[in-house]
Amino acid sequence: MTSLGGDRSIGRLLASLALAVGGMGAGAVWAPSASAKPPAPAAFCQTYPDSKSCTTGFAECATCHTTAPARNAFGAQLSERLAPGTPRPLSDQAFVSALPSALKMIEGLDADEDGFSNLAEIRAGTRLASAESFPKVMACAPDQASKSGDGRWNVCGYDPNYAFRKISLDFCGRSPNRAEAEAFRKIKGEAAQKAALGEALDRCLVSKYWLGSNGVVWNLANAKIRPAFVIKSGANPGPVPLGDYDDDYNLFTWAHSGDRDVRDVLKAQYFVRRVSDDPVKLEIIPEEEVKKRGRATAQPVPADKRAGLVTTRWFAASNTMFTAIPRTTAAQAYRAYLGWDIAKMQGLLPVSDEPHDYDRKGVGAPECAVCHTTLDPLTYPFTRYNGIGGGYTYDDDRLKAYIRGDGPNVVNAPKSGIILGKPVKDLVEWADVAANSDPFAMNVVRDYWKVIVGREPEVQDEEEFSRLWRGLKDPARYNYRVERMLHDLVLTTAYGRP
Amino acid sequence: MTRTAFIPALALVAAMFAAGCSSLPSAGSEPAQVASIDPKVKFKDGDRYLGDLARALNMPRETVCKELGRYDCFSDAFRIVLGGVEAPNLTVHTPLEEAALTAPIALDRAALHVCTSRVRMDREDPANAVLYRASASGRPDKAWMETTSNELYGVLLNRDPTKAERARLVGFYKDVATEQGKPNPDAASDWVTLSCFALASSLESIFY
Repeated sequence: MTSLGGDRSIGRLLASLALAVGGMGAGAVWAPSASAKPPAPAAFCQTYPDSKSCTTGFAECATCHTTAPARNAFGAQLSERLAPGTPRPLSDQAFVSALPSALKMIEGLDADEDGFSNLAEIRAGTRLASAESFPKVMACAPDQASKSGDGRWNVCGYDPNYAFRKISLDFCGRSPNRAEAEAFRKIKGEAAQKAALGEALDRCLVSKYWLGSNGVVWNLANAKIRPAFVIKSGANPGPVPLGDYDDDYNLFTWAHSGDRDVRDVLKAQYFVRRVSDDPVKLEIIPEEEVKKRGRATAQPVPADKRAGLVTTRWFAASNTMFTAIPRTTAAQAYRAYLGWDIAKMQGLLPVSDEPHDYDRKGVGAPECAVCHTTLDPLTYPFTRYNGIGGGYTYDDDRLKAYIRGDGPNVVNAPKSGIILGKPVKDLVEWADVAANSDPFAMNVVRDYWKVIVGREPEVQDEEEFSRLWRGLKDPARYNYRVERMLHDLVLTTAYGRP
Repeated sequence: MTRTAFIPALALVAAMFAAGCSSLPSAGSEPAQVASIDPKVKFKDGDRYLGDLARALNMPRETVCKELGRYDCFSDAFRIVLGGVEAPNLTVHTPLEEAALTAPIALDRAALHVCTSRVRMDREDPANAVLYRASASGRPDKAWMETTSNELYGVLLNRDPTKAERARLVGFYKDVATEQGKPNPDAASDWVTLSCFALASSLESIFY
């Protein structure tokens, strides 16, 4: 029997991975935050290198905190034993030295009173302060396995018949009919079954259910594009037409389908149109046609300044609107394409000497700087792209128009910035770094995993999930082709074990 | 069957088959099903659910279920409740993480609507009947009930019933055969309608 942790999302590990990425790539640009303990995630994992919470080398903030700096039950137990008598706040050095012995002292306790000791949960990678999260047995006993083989579903292993039905429902939107199911049951041999599953998947990947308007891929983009009918322009316009999000959905669908590079959601310098929806047919719009568009649907950013979906007219209209330093825009790009929600303190990679507060918004206050040391340098590359004010254009001198409202210093905000600890000269480079990052690949796979497997990837899925997102980046495997990745996703145990 | 008598029968069939579904370990001579060690059962959602029913019962998807005879049960009436999304107007970008309290009610309404419509169509056009076909003997004997049970399972769940499942459906007939102590003149069609409802609202039909 294998003991693995349950109810612990790999998604929640992303915030801690941010530290790993930044730590490896940035080094000097990092600054310790006044209200957090940046060394904690690494120090925890140095004490428990084999913990399943430490696959990235960094534990997540939620190990000890609810919303940092507030502590959860485990954090409270730890705090009581951490260098007692030493004046607070502890220096980073004092914290790191005291941590191992304090952790040792509470290994036998059970912070969340779920019947499993802190140490057992640390090893399993389950949540230390949640009674609903505890180590689970994730493999069948021998007698279960033999009985399962006789049952209708093989719950102890990959069940091809089950997977066949799921593929039809998940990707084609319908149950297989009886003849199809019986024909599949007649296929013998693992290789032949896998081939048949692949063929079934290929048939569905071009279906209207998968790629059509309001199809599965389209709906994956909803939270990234955040359409609003009232301000839609173009076909089927709303009452106050400002931008046409059909361009965004079409580009998203294009990059996520066929033999195409999914990084184009952040790198494309072209637009795509939907020639027909059943059968689904998409094609790139010649740039001359884009330039000839009328006022309601124009895409004024010149091609060489475009960065996929984060420089479209819709993205600027709905996020940047009238702001000089469009933090909302950068935060949405970070959330949508890297999976990190700064509002939830995810993906914080503080940059020294930030924030400069060029627009006098008070973001330098300690309680604000916790996030703005990351967010502001992430935002600067967006400052040359106009929103509603300025007509969605690119303008190197854009910030001059904001002096009256935001003060004279606003024009000093640079168009260079820092993302994932890496300095970038502009938004095109920003998007390139983002698109080639681990968090981007994880986020792409995680989006599909949630829809197709039906839940967030959890600790027991770590090996398969990791293989998929690493494979997405690997030129010899999926090479950023979503459909290739999906062919392997449907062969995972997470997908095919009932 | 009158509307007032139909409702208790509906409750009965729901309770009966809910109990049947919960007894997963064995159905007649079927081997016991081992419980999943990592269950990830997914809701089919209203769109796929109605699409499956429409195909199974040979009814156009656009007309298979209309609330008040006008509003599509999924697209217009129960879209969010039944696991759909509506981003541009309602800003519901992803399906509800937890099933809505009203989801079972909406599903039951849809299932009953579809089954009632199909049996009515079968009665009006026997030559193209899908579920309700008159007995060769002219009365609903056991052979007809068993044949009809097999067809119901085949059409709605794409499989044969086990012996126990078939016996349960056949046994249910007596509950609709009388209405307020008198013979129910529509017993056969009511039995088919309610049996269709039982299978169409079963866990096996709704989840995957």
